[in-house]
Amino acid sequence: MARLNHDTQRMDDLLASVTSDLLNDLPQNLNGNAIHVERILLEMVRPDPVQPRRVLPESIHLRFHQNQITPTQAMRELVQIVQIAARHRGRPFNNLLELLPNADDERDDEPAVNLTPEEVFLRDLVNLAITIRDDGQVNPLTVVDVSQGVTRLFRIETGERRYWATWLLRDFIPNYTGDGMIPCIIIPANRSSVFRQAKENTARSGLTAVALARQAALLLLTVHSYEIPAYAVENDFYRQALELDLRGKREYTDVVLSAMGGMGKMQFSQYKALLKLSDEALELADRYSIEEYRLRPVLAVPAEYHTEIMRQIIDFNLSAKQVKELCDSGNADQDDDDVRKDISPSAMKIAKVAQSTQVTSAQELARAIMLQEGDSAVAKARLQALRKLITEAERYLGAE
Amino acid sequence: MTRVFVFTNHKGGVGKSTSATNIALGMVQLLRRANAANPRVLIIDTDSQGHASLVTTGRKDYGADDSLYTVLMADRTNAPQTLLNCIIQSQWDTDLHILPASPMLEGAERELMGVAGAPYRLADPVSKIANQYAAIIIDTRPSFSLLTEMALLAATDAIVPVEPRYLETVGLTSVIEKINDIREGWRHPTLRVSGLLVTKMDSRIRGHNHLLAEVKAHPVLGKLLLGVIPANEAVSYAHSSHQSLFTYNPVASASKAYMQVVASLVRYLAKGGD
Ligand SMILES: Nc1ncnc2c1ncn2[C@@H]1O[C@H](COP(=O)(O)OP(=O)(O)O)[C@@H](O)[C@H]1O
Ligand SMILES: [Mg+2]
Repeated sequence: MARLNHDTQRMDDLLASVTSDLLNDLPQNLNGNAIHVERILLEMVRPDPVQPRRVLPESIHLRFHQNQITPTQAMRELVQIVQIAARHRGRPFNNLLELLPNADDERDDEPAVNLTPEEVFLRDLVNLAITIRDDGQVNPLTVVDVSQGVTRLFRIETGERRYWATWLLRDFIPNYTGDGMIPCIIIPANRSSVFRQAKENTARSGLTAVALARQAALLLLTVHSYEIPAYAVENDFYRQALELDLRGKREYTDVVLSAMGGMGKMQFSQYKALLKLSDEALELADRYSIEEYRLRPVLAVPAEYHTEIMRQIIDFNLSAKQVKELCDSGNADQDDDDVRKDISPSAMKIAKVAQSTQVTSAQELARAIMLQEGDSAVAKARLQALRKLITEAERYLGAE
Repeated sequence: MTRVFVFTNHKGGVGKSTSATNIALGMVQLLRRANAANPRVLIIDTDSQGHASLVTTGRKDYGADDSLYTVLMADRTNAPQTLLNCIIQSQWDTDLHILPASPMLEGAERELMGVAGAPYRLADPVSKIANQYAAIIIDTRPSFSLLTEMALLAATDAIVPVEPRYLETVGLTSVIEKINDIREGWRHPTLRVSGLLVTKMDSRIRGHNHLLAEVKAHPVLGKLLLGVIPANEAVSYAHSSHQSLFTYNPVASASKAYMQVVASLVRYLAKGGD
């Protein structure tokens, strides 16, 4: 040990013998402690797994951040999901460029097609990719240097869409001539924070209610000294914030609320409360950008009904008032035992079944009823009887 | 722009690997001492014998999945990522990183000979990760081969270690010719020869002193002279114990001489390579 210390000392002396001029004025280009722009290899850049603003569909997001799929595979899966959705809606495509609106096709008298959020997302991504290709450049992303040892890594603070567009461009769009690098504004690790990211997020428009809920959770967890992980987390991580609030964290209240875009305390807790939604409901609400006021009534209903209600909100574009009515009636049914008493359990069962038509298919139902009856003629008769019953029941709805 | 120094001389035993590895470590330590934000230096070992890999990592049995060979065999789009995956940390210092050589590089030359774009299989991926490092240092094998060509094409600066004995036999003009060969022959006009490094200098030998005086007086070589490293037993002892010269004996004459060279290279980096 003594010998080692001795050598270290001598090594210091050796270094000191040549450093005097270097120590005085370390030139700019070696002193990279400032924020600066650099071109970085795409592979060295990674999206932030806990970024409240979700770019990829949840299933791809999770597997990508668990390193089960590469960025290229993530984009391939996205394309496949959208291809399936588009085919179902009778607008199949083979080439990504077909997604772009064609100026010649645009006709005012044609009703606007209702694209799924995934179709819209991919179309926008392709659009962005083409712009990057044709302009030959992309606005720099903001990244944080999180390199460790030989692993060079930059985590995206803002610009995840540009990142994915560049992958899409590199691997899926013809005539890419770039070098697989992307310009980045590099933030030294010690300057990055959840607050900084939140401010960047809210400074841009278009953060969904669910993203705001996640962001509120991240901020709360941070001020309550929870460790923010560097890997993908399930919603339960954010839900820990449901038990936390800003009370007792006076000194942080202002900075948290301002990072949320200057909202009030009341609004803050309303957004945070959205985390009570079921996982599936959260994802739907996020993908379809459902506003907080339309989601609020859903929280009063047990979680197992959230998905179904969410689908109705989306399919029928329900207003906040309608959502409230839908949710209240659900509750009334359960509370009101008198009404319940003179309805037969069979009627209740069929009514219940009516809520699940989205989660099965006609083919599956046919198979199920065949299994139950064992004879196609009987099965047919059963379905006809059911149809008749439904048609008549519909008539009573008007009368009620 | 990150400078990429290639240590090259088609003769063996002149101190290429010794200089490349120790100068790389010296740069890391000096940059860190000067509080540089990024003191990392990468050594790329292109010699299939793997001396530089061995002394800095304790191993030289790298192969198909974890060496320069892997990078050269990767397809074009994956090469930069493959390069990143194959880089390891030196035992000498956490900020000294190595892309190790492999005995399989022998075969790579044959496999790649005549393949279109083969000479750029190192330069292309290196250019994409270069900005992660304060400097990159490439050690080469003692011959003009495809691998040496790749190394030169990946480099911005060539440093030519020479022994006085060698100068004696081939003469100074031959060294200059060699340098011009590199620049023109390899279609790499921007490669600059930024240094002649005299190694194994023994001032007790009259011929050595005489030659050194001649180099210094020479209008071209005199300007290129980067440093003079004395012949010093500490060098071979450090080498055989896989230690850096600086840790083995920081007060040895060769340590001091190498540190002077490191200082002028760091100053050169600091000026942005002017
Ligand atoms: N300045 C020096 N003094 C004494 N021995 C040296 C010196 N420089 C190099 N050597 C020894 O010479 C041998 C060859 O050096 P090396 O760096 O492997 O040369 P190259 O890479 O050019 O083949 C090694 O055993 C090394 O220890
Ligand atoms: Mg060697």
